[in-house]
Amino acid sequence: MRKLLAVWVAKLASVAGKLVGKKSSSTPGVIAMKICPSLISSLKKNITKGVIVTCGTNGKTTTNNLLNTALKKSGYTTICNDLGANMLGGVATTFAMACNIFGKFKADYAVLEVDEASARRVFKYIKPDVMVITNLFRDQLDRYGEIDKTIEFLNEAIDMSDGVKLVLNGDDPLLKQFGDGREAYYFGISEQVLPQVDETKEGRFCAKCGGEQEYNYFHYSQLGDYYCPHCGNKRPDINFPATNVDLSESMKFTVGSDNIDVNYRGFYNIYNILAVYASLNVLGVKTENFNNILSDYKPQIGRMELIKIGNKPCILNLAKNPAGFNQAIQTVLLDKRKKDVIVAINDLANDGRDVSWLWDVDFDKLSEANLNTLTTTGIRLYDISLRFKYADVKVDNITSNMKEAIKKCVENSDSEVCYVLVNYTALFSTQTTMLGLQGEIGGDSDEK
Amino acid sequence: MKNNDKNYEINIVHMYPDLLNLYGDKGNIACMEKRLMWRNIKANVKSCTNKDGSVDFKNTDIIFLGGGSDREQEIVCRMLLEKKDEIRDYVEDGGVLVAVCGGYQLLGKYYKTKDTKIEGLSVLDIYTEAGENRLISNVVLSCDKLSKPIVGFENHAGRTYIGDHTPLGKVVYGNGNTGESGYEGVIYKNVVATYLHGPIFPKNPQLCDYILSCALKKKYEDFSGLAPLDDELENKANEYIVSTFKEN
Repeated sequence: MRKLLAVWVAKLASVAGKLVGKKSSSTPGVIAMKICPSLISSLKKNITKGVIVTCGTNGKTTTNNLLNTALKKSGYTTICNDLGANMLGGVATTFAMACNIFGKFKADYAVLEVDEASARRVFKYIKPDVMVITNLFRDQLDRYGEIDKTIEFLNEAIDMSDGVKLVLNGDDPLLKQFGDGREAYYFGISEQVLPQVDETKEGRFCAKCGGEQEYNYFHYSQLGDYYCPHCGNKRPDINFPATNVDLSESMKFTVGSDNIDVNYRGFYNIYNILAVYASLNVLGVKTENFNNILSDYKPQIGRMELIKIGNKPCILNLAKNPAGFNQAIQTVLLDKRKKDVIVAINDLANDGRDVSWLWDVDFDKLSEANLNTLTTTGIRLYDISLRFKYADVKVDNITSNMKEAIKKCVENSDSEVCYVLVNYTALFSTQTTMLGLQGEIGGDSDEK
Repeated sequence: MKNNDKNYEINIVHMYPDLLNLYGDKGNIACMEKRLMWRNIKANVKSCTNKDGSVDFKNTDIIFLGGGSDREQEIVCRMLLEKKDEIRDYVEDGGVLVAVCGGYQLLGKYYKTKDTKIEGLSVLDIYTEAGENRLISNVVLSCDKLSKPIVGFENHAGRTYIGDHTPLGKVVYGNGNTGESGYEGVIYKNVVATYLHGPIFPKNPQLCDYILSCALKKKYEDFSGLAPLDDELENKANEYIVSTFKEN
């Protein structure tokens, strides 16, 4: 009875939230768990085939939602926290929303993205059959603490999950420790693709012996074909390797007997696709029309999202941490068109109050990006402007008015494309602004 | 805006940036480097790393020691202890040393956590003990040597007890050395040690220039002060942090 009440209240709270325009989908679940703490555990029997959880600093939402789409297209029913609410409350919301008014639902799979620090709390109620870890990068040190802490949390969560099959990024030296002694499958990019540049690396030092690791080649941050010359620890054998990577036009690579060919932007999407491919294989789900599934997938907002305003293609991208921002910049650099770039940095609680990570981003590379204009905005507009000043990149416009900034770029005939790079709390408002301008000026949207 | 044509040259050594790189510390190096360059003073930056740990203390004008994760800090500590005497001589001789966060703790006698006690360099007569919770906040300090407040971000579990040392500043907002003493950092001879990152120099150009002046004064007898720079943006970023506290 408490369960039923919890489900109803959650549904009501969700409707009320939508009415006041709140996009958060964790509050209803938080309330529901207060009414019925066993909500998730008592509903998990409705899932017949399995629970798949995705963790990791970057790529969680894309991997999770892409996997969900692939399962649905393969004929399975799923429940999924596809809006990205990935703490206990968000997971509870997903379960409550799936229920009919009698508190019941039927699904083959639960497909859940879970925040690294929340996994041990979520697993108290529901254990994963398959757990994907995409990567570990430094992220909001003031919220999460050092990366060693995150590793501790994840170990605790995995220890709670007897018999879990792990799907791990084999290129990330920080992840191999989770697979040792457990059933683990690795994906990775098994050839050198990008020019080798020196970035601030996490996990430079061997997880086993503390010695400095070396690389046969690396992709970005600490991801690559690593080995430790001191103790012999090295990148694990890769079960799902990407080879023949070609990013010159679309995104092409080979994995297993499949040739992937999709119109995705961003090198990191190779990892997201590999993670999904590996998970489907581990689940035993056939992946015959994988390319079609990938092409049909609608990314979440702000993942290199194309919004055309008038005749100007504007691309909105979310980047929350140095690894994410460096990848966004890498993607901007691959686009040779004359471009306007807008960077918005906020420091609200969900962004992390500490903006020192801006200095770990290789912003100086933007000077090679065929820039027409560069604009800085957001709550910490002066900090990001300073960052550019000390990187010798000229900022043309410092403004707290995002709408005016975008409008200026749209009306500017000297550029062919406009990139808007934002961190978390600026994302939704910026998308609303861009769609509003599209309504005023015209244009169409086509995410990918 | 240019300083002078006296062929001044400053050698900066960044200690273990491969290990101590947690809070955008390379921004501090970039800031010192640019603010020298903009004044026509040559800046040479060398990194002392795990692979190449050599430091020519005699020809070094500024040493920068940043912060890292606990694990990496322990590795650095072992390597630094081998240089303990040289670093102390360098400091006692008036060498300029800037230490931030973990680097600050390493300058003391020890850092004590629940289960370990890590020996420090004993450059300063201070010690640090881990507290229950982390002190995480934007910070504003007032500093006698500067007309503008020092702003930054702190994130530390350690409580640092500075004994008779002079603090870098008085805490106006935030926690500081222990969360209770009301003071932050240490300033001793030409050593500036602080918990504040952000990184600290870009938003506090006065503090950066103070450090640069100390180094130039020590090296060149005829040094008569730094030429002013346009710090409008730097000051706005500084004032923004101060304003967030005034609003609340």
